[in-house]
Amino acid sequence: MTQLLLFNVTNGLIIGAFYVLMALGLSLILNLSNVINFAHGGFLVIGGYIAYAVTPYVGFWGALLIAPPLTAVIGFFVERILIRPLYGRDPLYSLLLTFGLAFIIEDGTRFIWGAQGKPVTVPAMLARPLSMQFFFITGYRLFMVAAAIVVVAALFAILRYTRLGLRIRAGTLDLETVAALGVNVQALRSLNFAAGVFLAGLSGVLAAGQLGLEPTMGTGLLMPSFVAIIVGGVGSLTGTLIGGLLIGVASGLTAVFAPAASEAVIYVLMALILLLRPRGLFGEEGMLT
Amino acid sequence: MALMLERGRLDRRAVLKGAAALGGFAVASPAIIAARGETPIKIGLVDPLTGVYAAPAQNEVIGARLAVSRINAKGGVIGRPVELLVEDSANDVGTGVQKARKLIERDEVSFIIGDVNSAIAQAISQVANEKKVLHIVSGGHTDTITGKDCKWNTYRVCHATSMEANSVCGTLFKQYGKKWHFITPDYAFGHTLQQAALADLTKLGGTMTGNELTPLGTTDFSAYLIKARAANPDVILVLVQGSDMVNCLKQIVQFGLNTQVHIAGLQQELESLEAMPPEARIGIWMFEWYWKQPGVPGVDQFVADIRKVNNGKVPTARHWFGYTSVQTLAEVANQQKSIDSLKLAQALANFELPPDVKLQPNKCYYRAGDHQLMSSAFIGEALAQGKDDPEDLFRVDKVVAGDETALPVDQTGCKVQWPA
Repeated sequence: MTQLLLFNVTNGLIIGAFYVLMALGLSLILNLSNVINFAHGGFLVIGGYIAYAVTPYVGFWGALLIAPPLTAVIGFFVERILIRPLYGRDPLYSLLLTFGLAFIIEDGTRFIWGAQGKPVTVPAMLARPLSMQFFFITGYRLFMVAAAIVVVAALFAILRYTRLGLRIRAGTLDLETVAALGVNVQALRSLNFAAGVFLAGLSGVLAAGQLGLEPTMGTGLLMPSFVAIIVGGVGSLTGTLIGGLLIGVASGLTAVFAPAASEAVIYVLMALILLLRPRGLFGEEGMLT
Repeated sequence: MALMLERGRLDRRAVLKGAAALGGFAVASPAIIAARGETPIKIGLVDPLTGVYAAPAQNEVIGARLAVSRINAKGGVIGRPVELLVEDSANDVGTGVQKARKLIERDEVSFIIGDVNSAIAQAISQVANEKKVLHIVSGGHTDTITGKDCKWNTYRVCHATSMEANSVCGTLFKQYGKKWHFITPDYAFGHTLQQAALADLTKLGGTMTGNELTPLGTTDFSAYLIKARAANPDVILVLVQGSDMVNCLKQIVQFGLNTQVHIAGLQQELESLEAMPPEARIGIWMFEWYWKQPGVPGVDQFVADIRKVNNGKVPTARHWFGYTSVQTLAEVANQQKSIDSLKLAQALANFELPPDVKLQPNKCYYRAGDHQLMSSAFIGEALAQGKDDPEDLFRVDKVVAGDETALPVDQTGCKVQWPA
């Protein structure tokens, strides 16, 4: 039993690392632009399918390098053309826009690549477990965790030590003052949105290796990421990081005792946190008002 | 429009509104096929064209369309052309019911077909019963549709879950062992499928080490697999379908579990096998229909015709479901020279499908007692690579007739109530 628990905690952390990657992108966009990006799952799917399209020419590693920046470019234009006109309005407008966009992306991928799923093969060196006993720790899953750690560390370093990061953090706290100080807020928002979408694209490539591709795959992966943000607290990237790991472990542990509840448990956790600490674990009061 | 011309330029908002209206019209209006000649006979088809079952649903539509074009080429039904109206249930019971009502009330279809999702199929059956319209369930498998909730107006083409279990459980038991662990989708289809398999297992003298109920749309199966492995079964039975099946098998192979325990299941589909990487195509399964049947009349022609309208790809069981559903209606209507639902429903009892419709070796007929089509099960093993054709991903070892896999009528719980 102890072994089963230990297995599931480790497994939960692995899954959680993926949620973190996805949720950090969402969180970046939400914090600076007050946009609840429902199309984030859609961008994940775009990233995955771009990787699928380029893999025959550049291989898996090439796709991993190419697909996320390309997805970010698409995100950049989506922000410029569709989302920018809605900044002055109630966040509900951009929520509805991205909600619709999610459907358009899903049907678009179905139109281009077909409704039937597409297989993605990962490099053979990654596609095997490290040991018979710890069969759930495969090379690929370790690679996903490593990629998540590197990207999260890079993101935190950029936010902490660069001028751009400083502006994004300042903008999260008080965008008007940042604008008054002469920072080009529009460009800042575009870049920030593209960075968030970059993380979605990267999650898409990583997920494609683990799960294969399907036009609807974004929806299933998006909800846990939202929950991670709410549990961790809106406005705090550290909170998002902890929230993602927490729901991964919670869902893994529940699977031992009540498998059917292992997806529901993350929503129960969210409800509990909202009841006891409405701003989330590390959230700032008064965000999104 | 006049306003726009007066201004001398095309107003941007007006153009956008127009485009949106046009787009909306294209989405809202059903696809109309083969609308030639006078007063066509309309058949409504409701299937989840969007959502997790989009791939099988779209294949059912392609099969149904082929049937329509074949029927119309042969002079239609009692001299009238057939028209197929397709609606998207979006994999949602409420939407499915609404679309079925719209087809029956507004479009005045004579018959209705659908749905891939068992729960929606059951709901449509209820609506069609209320409206007294003949309904054929193309691809929803749960037992109760031709079991305790059977209706005089509802017939089913695809297998009942108990037929699927009965067709392959004996083989699995003999070849893989007697301790089974289930990975089951947590809704109507999964529940009845797992119960039927467990009943067979108990009868054979085996034991269940556990049953993992997984929510529809689960992406990560690792937690369930850790538990299943810890229970130390002889075989893990994967009962989930569609993208869940793809994810689950892919993870099983990545974890190397297939080298430690046997991996198999009951229902398998070509759509799923094609979406998997080759190494994940493993295990013994049952197919409801398979495209490679040397020497069986009509199959080669059917495969060739579907390839023409399916980007060169071969038909799956889903194409056959759609095709057979429409053909059944045409055959029985031509035989009875009528489109009266009650009359045709009565005529369909023990109605046998002709060779160019059944496309399989055994006798294939709608059983009078529960309205279930007695069609064959194709038992065999998944193949990593096709030998002669990249889509030949299943080796059929035996074809079992429907009569041998279906529960006796008195055990299905079905008592057909005919209208007074």
